[in-house]
Amino acid sequence: MSSWTGKVREFGLRNLPPERLFPDSQPAYMTSAIYLFGALTIGSLVVIIASGSILALKGPAWWHVQSIGHFFNSIHLWSVELFFFFMVIHLWGKFWMAAWRGGRARVWITGAVTFIIAIPCAFTGYVSQQNFDSQWIATQGKDGLNSLGVGAFFNPLNFGQMYSFHVLLFPVLVIGLVSLHILLVRRHGIVPPIPLADSVGPVTAKR
Amino acid sequence: MALVREIFLMVSSIINLNGTPHYVHWHFFLMSVPNVVVIVLMFVVFGAALFLRAPGSKRPGRHK
Repeated sequence: MSSWTGKVREFGLRNLPPERLFPDSQPAYMTSAIYLFGALTIGSLVVIIASGSILALKGPAWWHVQSIGHFFNSIHLWSVELFFFFMVIHLWGKFWMAAWRGGRARVWITGAVTFIIAIPCAFTGYVSQQNFDSQWIATQGKDGLNSLGVGAFFNPLNFGQMYSFHVLLFPVLVIGLVSLHILLVRRHGIVPPIPLADSVGPVTAKR
Repeated sequence: MALVREIFLMVSSIINLNGTPHYVHWHFFLMSVPNVVVIVLMFVVFGAALFLRAPGSKRPGRHK
């Protein structure tokens, strides 16, 4: 195999064979509703991207002048609220499962980094609202960001810069990281429960 | 859109959005009531999710 396309195909098939990439069943231990929150987070992200794409095409002032714009702006806002709501519960669930076990460190790291990147992604959205709320958030946030030393290239008072960060850079990072996160979950499988012997001690485990 | 407007009006008549904001303030802790409500709701949903079954999952020990 000499061509780079062939090598990429070999790499993909070796690490993610079709039956693992698109499984038709779930592990027997996946019985609790806590396992649903990753998928709910992805569902919210799909709505965010769809509604955000429409808002980006119509411009940041659209929701101020038309009720349909207000409708899509509200869809965008509430899907973000649900995204963080589900993501935090997903994070708690995976933390208490110690989901980095079994060679899943990269799965955990990509999830954690996605969470960290999603925060400035939402922040830049709040300062792009073009209302008194966004002005308040920007003026309150600038001092904190300046104290971190990032004010030279991340200025909340610069609407154009914040809007560009919000509709391009951060969404690309979030979508890329979430895609990588999903592929890694598919590759390593969903983390199994912690063995009983490790969780409750040898006395109970002997029964 | 008339229906959406009606729903907005109904909700806004239940919740007064024109008053002063409310905060939970205890020593150094200061947080708006809506944020506290969301965090409490997250704990409730997290606790419930641990005990609720995933849709379509089979009860353990009943496999044959």
